[in-house]
Amino acid sequence: MRRILVVWACAVLASAALGAEPVRVAFWHSMGGDIGGKAIPKLASDFSASQATYVVEPSYQGSYDDSLNKLKAGLMSKDVPAVVQVYDIGTRLMVDLKVATPVQDFIDQEKYDVSDLEPNVLAYYTVDRKLWSMPFNTSNPILYYNKTMFKAAGLDPERPPRTFAEVTEAARRLTLKDSTGKVTQYGVAFAIYGWFVEQFLAVSGAPYVDNGNGRDARAARAVFNGPEGVKILGWWKSMVDEGIMANYGRATTDTRNAFNAGQVAMIIESTAALRGMMDASRGKFELGTSFLPRPSSKDYRTSGTIIGGASLWILKDRPAAEQRGAWEFVKYLAAAPQQAYWHTMSGYYPIRKAGYNEPLDKEWRAKYPPFQTAIEQLHMAPVSRITSGGLIGVFPSARQIVEGAIEQVLAGRATPQAALDDAAGAVTTAIQDYEASVTK
Amino acid sequence: MSRPPARRRIVTGAWYALLGIVAFVVLFPVLSALTRSLLSDTEISSFPPKLLPFPPHFGSYPRAFAQAPLLRYLLNSAIQSTLVTAGQLLTASCAAFAFAFLRFPGRNVLFLVFLATLMVPWEATIIPNYLLMRALRWTDTFAGLSAPFLGTAFGTFLIRQFMKTLPGELRDAAGIDGCGNARFLLSVALPLSRPALGTLAVYSFLQTWNQYLWPLLVTNNNLMRTVQIGITLLQDEERFMMNTVMAGIMVVLLPTAVLFVLGNRQLIRGLTAGAVKG
Amino acid sequence: MISMTRQHAHAARLRRARSAASLLEAFAYLSPSIVLFAVFVFVPLVTTVRLSAFTTDPLGRVSAFVGLAQYARILADPRFVHSIGRTLLFAVFTVPGTLIAGLLLATLGTLRLSKIPLFRMLLSSPLAVSAATASLMFLDMYHPGLGILNYLLGLLHQKPVPWLVNETTALPAVAATTVWLQTGLNTIVLLAGLQDVPQVLHESARIDGAGPVRAYFGITLPLLTPTLFFLLIVDVLAAFQAFTQFHVMTRGGPNGATNVMVYAIYREFYFDGRFGIAAAQSVVLFLIMLAFTLAEFRFFERKVQYA
Repeated sequence: MRRILVVWACAVLASAALGAEPVRVAFWHSMGGDIGGKAIPKLASDFSASQATYVVEPSYQGSYDDSLNKLKAGLMSKDVPAVVQVYDIGTRLMVDLKVATPVQDFIDQEKYDVSDLEPNVLAYYTVDRKLWSMPFNTSNPILYYNKTMFKAAGLDPERPPRTFAEVTEAARRLTLKDSTGKVTQYGVAFAIYGWFVEQFLAVSGAPYVDNGNGRDARAARAVFNGPEGVKILGWWKSMVDEGIMANYGRATTDTRNAFNAGQVAMIIESTAALRGMMDASRGKFELGTSFLPRPSSKDYRTSGTIIGGASLWILKDRPAAEQRGAWEFVKYLAAAPQQAYWHTMSGYYPIRKAGYNEPLDKEWRAKYPPFQTAIEQLHMAPVSRITSGGLIGVFPSARQIVEGAIEQVLAGRATPQAALDDAAGAVTTAIQDYEASVTK
Repeated sequence: MSRPPARRRIVTGAWYALLGIVAFVVLFPVLSALTRSLLSDTEISSFPPKLLPFPPHFGSYPRAFAQAPLLRYLLNSAIQSTLVTAGQLLTASCAAFAFAFLRFPGRNVLFLVFLATLMVPWEATIIPNYLLMRALRWTDTFAGLSAPFLGTAFGTFLIRQFMKTLPGELRDAAGIDGCGNARFLLSVALPLSRPALGTLAVYSFLQTWNQYLWPLLVTNNNLMRTVQIGITLLQDEERFMMNTVMAGIMVVLLPTAVLFVLGNRQLIRGLTAGAVKG
Repeated sequence: MISMTRQHAHAARLRRARSAASLLEAFAYLSPSIVLFAVFVFVPLVTTVRLSAFTTDPLGRVSAFVGLAQYARILADPRFVHSIGRTLLFAVFTVPGTLIAGLLLATLGTLRLSKIPLFRMLLSSPLAVSAATASLMFLDMYHPGLGILNYLLGLLHQKPVPWLVNETTALPAVAATTVWLQTGLNTIVLLAGLQDVPQVLHESARIDGAGPVRAYFGITLPLLTPTLFFLLIVDVLAAFQAFTQFHVMTRGGPNGATNVMVYAIYREFYFDGRFGIAAAQSVVLFLIMLAFTLAEFRFFERKVQYA
């Protein structure tokens, strides 16, 4: 901590002495589309314009996976940015790589007030009592549904399904077939995405790995093959078998596009897609959003969703001045006005409560109620080991393994229990390999 | 021809019809992409899919350029492809000449060595190559993008096959005239090998233009990215407008399409001289 | 006797000197390529082989020597063995299809019509399209609900095909994309080969009373064998090295149905930084490709008829 103070003092003196030249702060991100093309550059240039010391240069690195890979490759020769956006599941790996300066150091040194930040969000990125990265774009999964189709099917558009059974029931009513028996409209569709399983497990109150989800001690085994996991996959499969659920594969965009085209009545997706979904549905149908369905109503009280999205990491292999700039930028992004703007541009919700009080945000939510859904869902979730999310270094791989298990189950190749047992075994092996290579 | 003219016209017409159908099938993916690039935002995400883009919506094209610096990407790809093509022509023609005309011990072994490089899977060499680029500080440079590809066993193979079809007497005749190997290469072998060189040039350019994994690793700076990476970046994490992606694809296809239209006759005519007969 | 030996010895020395000189001269022409191959192909290959004997930490730095045990491990891993099977199956799906399609298109391209150059160009146009571009185009066509292919199937009263989403159809779907991509090159090369068949042979076949079909199979095809052989080698190698389509379209899924070796290797070092294991897998892939090429030379080159 004292080192940070010294380093910071030198940086300030140095920049004061040298005067003019603003410090270049490279920022790697994975936000594409309008979010990455408009919002990110605007945030970066607004920050650069608001002060004279630092200039932030954002550069789009492709998906989170691609970006992390580039980072790992760049680490070997110190060619890294000052601040990088890494997805939620990369947390354990980033900590173990020992390449970041924890934001906790900056927080402590300047006594930055974190009391206004959402506790669930902070809990996710806190490892060994330190906040390692600054939350930036945070999301959770919600149910998107087509209100127009609900009305047509005789369902109340203001009362979307809340439990697994209710979803099945609604999907039955919403699936339409033509005279030849071919389905013209599916009731529901889930992309084959490991994140959804992680979330369903969380709202069922089940952990992903042992040792307090990897937060009490380093995780040793995957435990998602318990009764809750089996129930989730069994429910998923039953809907596909019954012909009321469509399968568009792994890419969430494919499922999203099918929903926008009016081929399916309900989907699960991140709230981050909300802005885009809203724009796409305008003039075509009325969009509704609701909470992630749970096994039963009581689960709404006892468990909750995990936060998703990504956070910003400051890398320690950059000069102190750049790290300082990165911290200033990260603080800027976390401030209420920027969080409100970010919220309206995407659907990622503000990480601090003051963000909701921004006039821009209030107006926006009043005008477009769906933007409120994820926030309510966030606040409904108790802070626990489960809602803080699993912490393992092999999460990207684990997600793929779980996706493989889902595919197996849907193809009828294995029962939910067998597929999950296999998957848990594979993930456990991966964890063991990882631990062996890291804790030497 | 003993058939009456009318019958001949029908037969010709039938052939053209068949060709037209087959060409349509072959071009179908491209036509589909073109159509989709001209649909509006509402049309692109509706079902049933709109088959004919009338009226065409050109809005996706400016948007593709706005979402990513496509012009810059195009320029980068052009420079990289030109560098690699020039390098390959140089190294391959020299090596092919040696294999085709010169006799030296170990010629077969060396040829097998060249052939072996064709079989080394790219993934086996990519990490060390990448680390080398970093060590040389050649990332985000054209040197880094081009260097690993300047030599080509395939090109050597192609030109060698062609040169071997040139009559051996040529070399002997030149030798009698006191022509050294280098002069023979420059004034006789290369000019006569123009078809094969043309083929290699077009092929190299296209191959390099279409590279994906290497530029992905070697360039981080958005201003240095090449075009294939550029269009896949148009797909994004949070929103997916297919018409924009398709517009980007059309833009990216344009240069290679033009090159192909201009170069394909040369390609085919050149190969007529028996480049790959063996 | 002695003078003969000295003459022989002298001749032998001259031969060796000339040999050395010719070797030196050849090297002048070969060295640019050799240097490039050494630096960018062989040395990295050796580095990879070396790496294959070690385990690595998440950053890819070497952590422990395990030697051949790594190979034993990967060959015992059912998922890797599965990916070998997928790769072979993929080659079976793509190579014959590409050769046949190329042959058909090239044959069409030899029709004596005035506009044939235009059609030759159109029929070989996939050559101008990159794997990334083609993957995106086919991805759009393959969408289970919104794609044009299932829409057309619907019009023909057929059931929609799940294409990339289903284990059974995914690999053929990616193979179809690959066939489309590779056909461009095959068509052009075969066109050149076909044009090479001397007219006089066709004439004499006709004089002998052979119909066009018999002439095709009896004369043209055999003369095409060198070209076909060349394409066989190239197409098989391309099938083993295909990556972009898998990365853009399926990422190895669904459920590993398209997890060919190259993609599996990529995932090894990409997702978990297990460079040592990935390196070992690469070496196995290399050996398989080498074996196939040698087998092709051994079994098929005999059938090739050089004119």
